Amino acid sequence: VEILAVAAMVLTALSVLFLLVLALQRVRLGVSERRRGELEARLRPIALAIVDEGRMPGALPPQAATELAAILGRYGRRLRGDARARIAAFFEGSGAVDDHVRQLRHRRDWVRAEAAAGLGVMGSARAVEPLRAALGDPSRDVRMAAAYSLGRLQAVDAVEPLLAALDHHRIPRAVVCNALLDIGAEAVPRLLGLVEHPDPIERATAVELVGLLGAPADGRRLVERLVDTSADVRAQAARALGRLGAAEEAAAVRELLDDRIPFVRVAAAEALGLLRDDEAIDGLLAQAREDSFETARAAAEALARIAPQRVTSEAARPEEAGPHLVEAADLIAL
Amino acid sequence: VSDFLLGVAIAAFAYFALLNGIYVAFTAIAWGDVTRHLRRRRHAGGEGTFASPLTPGISILLPAYNEQAGIVESVRSLLSLRYPKLEVIVVDDGSSDETLERLRAAFDLAPVRKALRAGVETRPVIGTYVSRRHPELVVLAKENGGKADALNAGVNVARHEFVCAIDADAIIEERALLQVALPILDDPELVAATGGIVRIANGCTVDHGRVTEVRLPRSRLATLQVVEYLRAFLIGRVGWSRMNALLIISGAFGLFRRSLVEAVGGWWTGTVGEDVELVVRLHRYLRERGEDYRIAFIPDPVCWTEAPEDLRTLGRQRRRWQRGLAQTVWRHKRILGNPRYGVLGLLAFPYFVVFELFGSLLEVAGPAVAIALWATGRLSTLFFVAFIVIAVLLGILLSVAALALEEFSFRRHPRTSEVARLVAYTLLENVGYRQLNDLWRAQAFVDLARRRHTWGEQRRRGIGRAVG
Repeated sequence: VEILAVAAMVLTALSVLFLLVLALQRVRLGVSERRRGELEARLRPIALAIVDEGRMPGALPPQAATELAAILGRYGRRLRGDARARIAAFFEGSGAVDDHVRQLRHRRDWVRAEAAAGLGVMGSARAVEPLRAALGDPSRDVRMAAAYSLGRLQAVDAVEPLLAALDHHRIPRAVVCNALLDIGAEAVPRLLGLVEHPDPIERATAVELVGLLGAPADGRRLVERLVDTSADVRAQAARALGRLGAAEEAAAVRELLDDRIPFVRVAAAEALGLLRDDEAIDGLLAQAREDSFETARAAAEALARIAPQRVTSEAARPEEAGPHLVEAADLIAL
Repeated sequence: VSDFLLGVAIAAFAYFALLNGIYVAFTAIAWGDVTRHLRRRRHAGGEGTFASPLTPGISILLPAYNEQAGIVESVRSLLSLRYPKLEVIVVDDGSSDETLERLRAAFDLAPVRKALRAGVETRPVIGTYVSRRHPELVVLAKENGGKADALNAGVNVARHEFVCAIDADAIIEERALLQVALPILDDPELVAATGGIVRIANGCTVDHGRVTEVRLPRSRLATLQVVEYLRAFLIGRVGWSRMNALLIISGAFGLFRRSLVEAVGGWWTGTVGEDVELVVRLHRYLRERGEDYRIAFIPDPVCWTEAPEDLRTLGRQRRRWQRGLAQTVWRHKRILGNPRYGVLGLLAFPYFVVFELFGSLLEVAGPAVAIALWATGRLSTLFFVAFIVIAVLLGILLSVAALALEEFSFRRHPRTSEVARLVAYTLLENVGYRQLNDLWRAQAFVDLARRRHTWGEQRRRGIGRAVG
């Protein structure tokens, strides 16, 4: 009974403690939100003066300086060009860039991750090298934050290390790709240099990104990848050529309609649809009638782009046409 | 007899100590995990996901049976979700009301002979339609076969890599799909399924299928469920997810890899707990093949749902959940204690069998036996009272810890008065409500013995229409 009584007292004390914490948190958040609102209203003109005119403020109290950095950070996520450069200059001048670079060596991984993310928002080119080094950080969160930031900084020099980070899934593919997409068309020459990389994952990713960022003329460099030993690379090469509108390479893409791997045939059909390749009609018709579900559907959709009237006439004989051409014809009629 | 009663009392005491020990451990895990999640969210590229052409597509599956009152609003809300590659598939499961006609009129549906996969067997599909105004909206009309059958029919027509099962009366927040899909972007090969948090919409202001103001329900019963859901999701599911042993992804909002759903044969039509059963089957399938995988709970994507406001409907719901759990446990009994299934077989499944399934029997019997022992003088009054006080205090502490976690993390209830009300309800929840729940859960065994497998009538006021 005595033990139970002690336990009851401990539980009561803990419950009261939690309630106190809850109440204090409410009050604290309410007060800080109100103060921040007031401070932000005061600081917004100063932030706009920095962004629009590059007019740097004098010394600010610590809390105001932090809040100003937060406001500029929010602007920095959305701005490019001169305005972004002025924000970067502010952060460089205030010492925040150097502080964050130092924090990349902090013992706590979440502090390093936040520093890596913060450097991307600040927009300073001085952060590129430290962030490249952070791609090798032991914490995955830090590596991911560094990748996002390198994308935001449009760091062309980071293209190769970013792709290399795909090895052993050190950084998720989606994060690497989004960072490279952020870097933009300037990354294409570097990516073209990687389309023959020995690692098939890096090859496939480079090919896919060329398809998203490149120009039709880049298609010539991708044709050889249509016969790559990796099915993933072949599929990405076909998709990339379709996206780039590389019509002169359509004949090579057509060959892939006979590929033994279904998802490569799907990619080929999608690409031929985008290229509006008339000469693929017979091959696509066969695929739409006879192939497995996903490949047949891709072929029917491609045909609907290339030759809608032919799809409609084929669908008039539903038993021969099969369900995918019938569906495509009904969608054309919508 | 008195020795037997004493044995039951000792078992109940051990059960109480173990269960609360687990809850305390999970509370600690949840605080750490939610804090880490929120820190990560600050530097993860959520908006980049929306803009990226590489984001995987999602087909939303919306099974609808006699949902004429709210179906148009629900579909409108889903069509406006923030996600780059989205398809909405409504499956009218043989409704006898005007569900299909209202959809046809509101979205200008045209008959399109959709090709259907032969993947999962379902009741016959009678008609397929596509909206002229929203080509990403597909409507299937099929013979009635229940929710699981409707979801399977949706899987057979879905075009995207992932399917998201959503209840017709649920409201998904605008960014919830982006949030629930984030683990997929981090580990596209690894993630088999993810689920978000379900919150109670009773009392909230709903405008055009969106929750615009979060308020507590006026109904006491629904408010008790707010506390209960917070603890179940923020503590329980976060804890199990951390161990990759999450057995429940709510049927109201869950994202699944389509190819895996097909591979395991889709949702099981023979149970009223098809959501739990599918997740257990996915775990089992992947573990039996020795595959590395993840089934994750994400605490920030919100699905708002209507909670029962009367005891009868709530009782029916809880008995149904318990029957579904029992059917799932029976179907997958070989997992229990089997080291081949790792933490699932040795920890999660035993927990569900002992505490979630049979726990209700002990929780009903325990107090009754304790009263009997006290009445016969085998238990001192002081011990009896002290034990009850501790049980209630511990329950309150755990609920308040869940509330505090909510307050430090997501803060969805902005009014201080409402948080105070929730704190007060933690007492009510532990004195009365929990015991009532145990009774309903115990009654489910009677239902099972009588082979009662129906869903039962669902009385709803409708969150899409009733404001306040």
